Amino acid sequence: MSDLIKLLDGGDEPRIGIYTIPVFKTSNEIKPHHLARGGDGIEENISPFTFTPQRIRLDKDDESFEDGDVHRHLYLQDLAATLAEDFQAPKVSEFKCHIAGCRQLFDTLEGYEHHYNSLHRHVCSSCKRSFPSNHLLDIHILEWHDALFQVMAEKQCMYQCLVEGCGLKFRTSKERKDHLIKTHSYPSDFRFDKSKNKRIKEKTPQQKDVCMVDPSSVLSGELENSNSMDISLPQMSENKELVLPKQQKPHYSYKVPSSVCFGQGSVRGFRGGRRKK
Amino acid sequence: MWRLKAVRHRASRSAKDLEEFKHKRREHEKALRQARRDRQLISKRVLLNEDEEQEKDVMETDGAPVSPDQIREMIRSVQYGGEERDTHLAMLRKTLRDPQTHLIFTKVENSMYVLVGQLSGHNAQCQLQAAHCLQELSQSPHLGVGQACLAATPYLLTYLSSPSTKLTELCLYILGNLWPDGALVREKLLAQGIVTALANCIQNQRFNLAVVEAVGFTLSQLLQEKDVADKVIPLVMASGLVPHLISFLTPDPEFGLGPAIECAWCLHYLMSCDVDTSALLNHGVISHCSNLLITLGGATAKGSAEEGLELLIWPLLRCLGNLLATEVYEGAGCPVGVEDARLLVALCVFSQAYLSSHSALTRESLWVLNNLTADSPVFCSAMLFFNLVPHLLQLLPFSKGINSMVLRILGNIACKGAEYCVQLTYAGLLPALSATLRMADPDVVTLSLEVLHLLSTCSPQVAEEFGRLNIVPLLEAIKYYNEKEQCVRASYILDCYFHKHPMVDHQS
Repeated sequence: MSDLIKLLDGGDEPRIGIYTIPVFKTSNEIKPHHLARGGDGIEENISPFTFTPQRIRLDKDDESFEDGDVHRHLYLQDLAATLAEDFQAPKVSEFKCHIAGCRQLFDTLEGYEHHYNSLHRHVCSSCKRSFPSNHLLDIHILEWHDALFQVMAEKQCMYQCLVEGCGLKFRTSKERKDHLIKTHSYPSDFRFDKSKNKRIKEKTPQQKDVCMVDPSSVLSGELENSNSMDISLPQMSENKELVLPKQQKPHYSYKVPSSVCFGQGSVRGFRGGRRKK
Repeated sequence: MWRLKAVRHRASRSAKDLEEFKHKRREHEKALRQARRDRQLISKRVLLNEDEEQEKDVMETDGAPVSPDQIREMIRSVQYGGEERDTHLAMLRKTLRDPQTHLIFTKVENSMYVLVGQLSGHNAQCQLQAAHCLQELSQSPHLGVGQACLAATPYLLTYLSSPSTKLTELCLYILGNLWPDGALVREKLLAQGIVTALANCIQNQRFNLAVVEAVGFTLSQLLQEKDVADKVIPLVMASGLVPHLISFLTPDPEFGLGPAIECAWCLHYLMSCDVDTSALLNHGVISHCSNLLITLGGATAKGSAEEGLELLIWPLLRCLGNLLATEVYEGAGCPVGVEDARLLVALCVFSQAYLSSHSALTRESLWVLNNLTADSPVFCSAMLFFNLVPHLLQLLPFSKGINSMVLRILGNIACKGAEYCVQLTYAGLLPALSATLRMADPDVVTLSLEVLHLLSTCSPQVAEEFGRLNIVPLLEAIKYYNEKEQCVRASYILDCYFHKHPMVDHQS
């Protein structure tokens, strides 16, 4: 607040006349029905935006005046006190994950971002599976959705080690798995090493509530039986490589186009939210 | 003595007292909130007595309730007490401290007659003691008691012109406490000329701040009552009270905040009725309020704000906010009376300083900022000139009307055009919006989209920033919301400003 103090305590010439402030040039004041800058063939939309600057008048009995009125009356009744308990602390806005089907609520932006980064960032746009890292996503896409992969794998070592920086490649996924277990001490049921063919058998018929992912289980890295790490959204028909198990039905009333990928880049949020006590 | 200090002193006597005090306070607060929702918010002023502490101990040892016979006896000793009358009256006063005795008292025959007799008698001490008795009675929650006190009101009003300021002060508080006790009481008091009496009193006693405070309190009771507003308000406006109220807004450093607080609340109640405010504006309310808020803002920013200052800031904000909403403006969006641009700074100071203690005050400060900046290139420029936008952005995490009001202010500024939008972007608005767009409250998301749209319309660089801040996928996600308001806005922004930049399907 020091900059504000300086302004208010100006010394010799404290007053800052309103007419001495330089006024920025106003331009094209936005009208509510701003027409779209459409390109060829696009109709000119009527803008849905309705905001206009408004001076708001509040009646004496307006409910937003309640706290102030109550404080005044407590003072009249000699009960106003500056005890710490009497404070009306502000309420912090909750954040909501807007990813289709997710809709989780969070108290802090950090909590939201943690959730988002853990579950929605590295998402395969074909099958909507989410992965904890770029590296695993790349491997997944290559092995599951690349038409040439199977062909090339017959001739050369294509199965990359999942550990970043290792760099070794193997002829089969089994060889890779053995390598992971032997050299890198991985468990035999490592979640991100499921091969395509086995996938159908392992999928438990529990697709009912995909959106109810519990972030805490993600964060603590518990490996449960249920495929809680995979957020699979209904597969679109374009991609023929993936075989859709019969029990996986779309549960949503809208479709997410396969061209939309929700896991892009880092989320720069605003870090200014100081949590007040 | 400034009342808040006295209250705290009382409250801090012992841990047990403190607990009781807190408990009592919580109960009362609940009751007040409910009363306000029922539009029945009234309070009676409890007067602090200097000698109350010793007397309270005496009261506590006396457990048994008083009987009508005991009251009868007390009244008789007052009536026939001769030289000892004032002593007997003092006893009666002590007895009446217990609210349970009030109804009993009024039911005893002749009780009020005797009391009024002493009030209107020649013995100054007895007058004072009788007034104290009436003051205790006036605090009673029972309507019947208040109506019984009607017998005293002609005298109470007469004594408002008394040279004895102590008596005047007591009479004022009694009248203020009686006012809420029913339509009959109010009718009588109006007929007996209470408004004129108050105006004369404040005129004659303007150098006695204790009396001024009492007038302010009583007037605030008159103005708060909705039923008779159409009768009271014209009388008040015609009586010449308003210039006095304005003149006492600036607190006296020695006496304390009391008189200023009462006068400010009176002005707020006047302002927020459908009264013709032009008369008020002629008295310079706007300039007075804004200059005072600047002074108080300075004190608050330096941390030297007196305790209880919010009781004064609150009504000043409301006066100013409503006046700004009803005033006719000059060109360039400058209201008559706001001449010092530091008012904006003071409002920002309040919004931050009171955030953790009285968040509603934060919201109301922002409301006044909205009313100042709406359609005003001058004030919007001033917000930028003083670099106040980062301070506003810090308030965006907070709900219950705070973040939505901040977004309105930002929208007011953005509406002014490209140069304003550019400044807003420099101040860090876009990263802040990318957070508010993720909030659960639909109104906040809608307002964020409105501001985003304003920024995009004005400035092509903004569209580039979107990509960097990952706002596009966020907008895509919003398109699939259930709420239509947000879907259509998000779609529009995407179509308008990203039609030329087709989405590349990254697989990062």
